[in-house]
Amino acid sequence: MSETVSDEDAPLRQRIADNPRPAIRWILGALVLVAVEFGAFLGLVFRLLSTIGGLFPDNPGVALFSRLEESSEVIPTLLSRSLIPNDGFYNGQQWVDTFLGLEPAYAWLLRVLLIYAYAFIWLGWLWVGYRTFRQHYRYADWTPRDDVVDRLRSHRWGQFGFVLVLIFLVMALFAPALGPTTAEANLRQPYSHYTEFYDEETDEVRNVTVGTANLGSASEGNPDSNVGPWSYDDFGRFHPFGTLTTGKDMFTFLAAGARISLMIGIVSMVGAGLIATGFALLTAYYKGLADLAVVIASDSIQALPVLLVLILASATFSGTWLAELYNGAVMLIAIFVLIQWPFLWRAVRGPAFQIAEEEWIDAAKSFGQKPRTIMRKHMLPYVIGYLLIYTSLTLGGIIIAVAGLSYLGLGITPPTPEWGRAISSGQPYVATASWHISLIPGILITLIVIGFNALGDGIRDAIDPQSGSGSGTAQESKADEAAAGGGGA
Amino acid sequence: MSRWSYFLRRLVLAIPIVIFGTTITFMLIRLGPIDPAAAIIGLGDPEGLERIRTQLGLNQPLWQQYFDFMIDLFTFNLGQSWVIEPGTSAYALIVSYAPRTIWLGFWSVLIALFVGIPLGFYAGLNPNTGSDYFASFGGIVWRAMPNFWLAIILVTLLVQSQDLLFGFNWAGWLVPTGIVGPPPIDFLAEPLGAITDPVDWWIRKGGDGSFLAALKKIAPAALVLGSASMGNEMRLGRTAVLETINSEYVETARAKGVSSRSIVWKHVFRNALIPLVPIITGEAFLLIGGSVLVETVFGINGLGVLFYDAALNADLPLLGSLMFIFILLIVGLNIVQDLLYTLIDPRVGYEQD
Repeated sequence: MSETVSDEDAPLRQRIADNPRPAIRWILGALVLVAVEFGAFLGLVFRLLSTIGGLFPDNPGVALFSRLEESSEVIPTLLSRSLIPNDGFYNGQQWVDTFLGLEPAYAWLLRVLLIYAYAFIWLGWLWVGYRTFRQHYRYADWTPRDDVVDRLRSHRWGQFGFVLVLIFLVMALFAPALGPTTAEANLRQPYSHYTEFYDEETDEVRNVTVGTANLGSASEGNPDSNVGPWSYDDFGRFHPFGTLTTGKDMFTFLAAGARISLMIGIVSMVGAGLIATGFALLTAYYKGLADLAVVIASDSIQALPVLLVLILASATFSGTWLAELYNGAVMLIAIFVLIQWPFLWRAVRGPAFQIAEEEWIDAAKSFGQKPRTIMRKHMLPYVIGYLLIYTSLTLGGIIIAVAGLSYLGLGITPPTPEWGRAISSGQPYVATASWHISLIPGILITLIVIGFNALGDGIRDAIDPQSGSGSGTAQESKADEAAAGGGGA
Repeated sequence: MSRWSYFLRRLVLAIPIVIFGTTITFMLIRLGPIDPAAAIIGLGDPEGLERIRTQLGLNQPLWQQYFDFMIDLFTFNLGQSWVIEPGTSAYALIVSYAPRTIWLGFWSVLIALFVGIPLGFYAGLNPNTGSDYFASFGGIVWRAMPNFWLAIILVTLLVQSQDLLFGFNWAGWLVPTGIVGPPPIDFLAEPLGAITDPVDWWIRKGGDGSFLAALKKIAPAALVLGSASMGNEMRLGRTAVLETINSEYVETARAKGVSSRSIVWKHVFRNALIPLVPIITGEAFLLIGGSVLVETVFGINGLGVLFYDAALNADLPLLGSLMFIFILLIVGLNIVQDLLYTLIDPRVGYEQD
C-alpha cells in the first residue's frame, strides 16, 4: 500500500522523520512484545542459521549456532514450558513441579490462554500500525483499499473465519509450547525421555520412560483402557484431547499435524499463486496466442482429477528420495503447485482481462511505460485481491486432500503426525469409549475448512461487494466448488 | 460467433487438452521409479525380469513407448492388466467395475440435487429468518466436512444404529441389507423385469437384489459423496433466488397484482435454476476423486477402488486406461456444460471466453 501512493511525495522515511512520535510508540510496542519472547526469537534465529549452515558440508558455523541455540534456551521467556510447566505428579497431598502447584489441566490452560493472548496482541499491534500509517504518514487521505478494509471490518462472517484460521495458525506456530508435552518427548523419542509419577502402592515417586507410560495410557475402546478428552492417565499426565491408540498425547499429535498440514497448504498456495499471477498478467496483457497456450495447458491439467493424481504420484514415487524429502511434504507441495495453479489462474483471468481493458492501461502504454512496469504497478494490485479469495478457498481443500491421502496411507510418511492418520487409527473405535480419536481430528478439519471458506467469502465481499458471495458465472462457481472440495476427499 | 461455431471451437480445443492430459499421465506413470517387471514377478529372477521387460516393450526407447501408449489409448486398445488380474483386458475390468460406481455417482448427484436445491430455495425465499440461518449454516458445515471422515461416522452410526439411533435398526429397515459392501445391482441386467415382474424387481427378490435393496445400500455412500455438492448447491440456490426475487421484473409482476404463489413458481424458480444447471456437470470432478475414499470406506468395489489398487500395485496399463477414461469424461462433461449453458441462457456471452 505504501509504495503505490508515496511516489511523488516525500519518501516515507522523510515523513516519519518529520513526525516521529507515533512511529516510535509503535516500534516500542513491538520491542516489548519481542522482549518477553526474546529467548524464543533468538533460538529461532540460531536454528535457522544452523539449518542453513547444515546445507554446506564441513561448515564450522553449524556447531557454533546449535550451541548458541541451546544456550539461548536459558533466557526466560514468557510462553515457554519451563516458565509455566504442566508436567508434574500428585504426591498424595498436592501437585509437585507444576506451575504454582496448580493442577496440570489449569497450568496447561493458563499457558494456552497466554499464548493466544500474546498472538492476538501481535495482531492488535499490526492493526495499530496500519491505523498509525493511515492517520499520520500516508500521502493520500483516501485510497480504494480503505473501503475494502472498512467493509471487512463490518463483515462478521469473514471475521469469524479469520479468527478460526488464526487460531489454527497459532496452534501450528506455537505447537511446541502449546501441547501438554512436546512432540519430541512424546511422539518421536518416547524412550529417551522420562516422566515422574507417584506410585500409591509403594508411596514413592518413580521415574519411567515416556514410552512405558504411553503403553499404559493407550485408548483402545473399552472403558478400562481409555484416556478420554480432558482427563489424566495413570501417570498423572494431562491429556486435553485424550490419547491415541498408542497412548501418545493427541493434542500434541494434532498440533504437530496442524504444522505440517498448514505448511503444505500455505507453501503450495504461494507457489501456485505466483505462477497463476504471472500467467494472468502476461495473458491479460498480451492476449491472443499466449492466452490460448495457457488455456490449453491449464485445461489439460484441470482435466486430471486432483485426488487421483495425488494417489498416483504418491504411489509411484513412494520409497524414492523425492518422497522422503521432509517426510513427503515436499513432493505433495510440488504436486499441489502443479495441479492448483490452473484453478487459481482461471479464477483471476477474468478480473485481469477486465483491468487490461481499462483506460489507464492504455494511457500508461501511450505514455511509454514498459510492459513490466504496467503489469506490476497498474494490474497486479487488482489481481492480488481476487487471488486471495481463491487461495483461501483452496487452502481448505488442500488440508482435506492431505488428510484424505494420509487416511489411505499415502502422502506424509508414517511417524510424522498427520490428522488423517489419527482418523484412520481411531476408525475401529468410533462407537466405543475411545470415540475421540477419530472424531476430534475430523471436527478440527471441518472447523479449519469452514474458517478458510468464511475468510474467502469475507474477502470476496470486501473486494467486490456487487458480486454477492456464490453467484457469478458458471466458471467461477465451479472453481469455487472444486477449490473448496479438495478434489472430493 | 454463432452457437455452433462456438461449439465446434470447443470440440477442436478439446483435442490438444486430451492429448496433453494423457501425456502428463504417461509421464507420471513412466518417469516414476516403478519397475513393472519387478512388480509382476519380483526381483528374484533376473532372466525372467529381462524376458518380461522385452515382452512388455520396456526396453524400447522412451519416445517409442510414449507413442505406443498414446496410439493404443486413442484407438481404445486399452491393453491387459499386468498385476491385479493378469491377462484380463483393462476394458473388461473397467466394464465389470464401472456399474457400481455409476450407480453410486447417479444417486449422489440426485440426492445432492433434490436436497440441496430445495433447501437453498427455501432459505432464499425466507431470507434472514431462523430457518434460513439454520439451513445456510448446515450447508456450510456439510460442505466443509471431509468425505472420508463423514463416511466413517455414518458407517458407525448405521452399524450400531440400534444403540445410537434410539433403537432404529437400519440394517433390517424395509429390506434387510448389509451396511458396507457393494450394492446388489444385478437386477439392472434385466430391465424388462420392471414391467413384467414389478413387485419382485422393485422391492422383493428375497430382500436382496431388488431396486429398493440396491438403493438402500447405496444411500449412505451417495449421501456422503454428494455432501460437498449438496452444500454448494444450497448456497448457490439461495443466492440465485435472492437475486431473482429482487429483480425488477418480479417487482413489476408484484405491482401488476400477480399472486405470490404464481410469482414464486413461474418467475422466480425458473430463472433461479439457470445458474444451477451447469454446476451439476461440474460435480464430476468431486465424484471421480471422492469415489476412491468413499468406496474404500464403504467397501464398494467400483472404479475408485480399482484405481487405488492399480496405483498401489503398479498396474500401469490399467492406470493409464482409467486416467484416460476419466480425462475423456471430464473434458466431455465440460463441453456439454458449456453447450447447455448457452442453450439455457442465451444472455450468457460465449464470445468473451
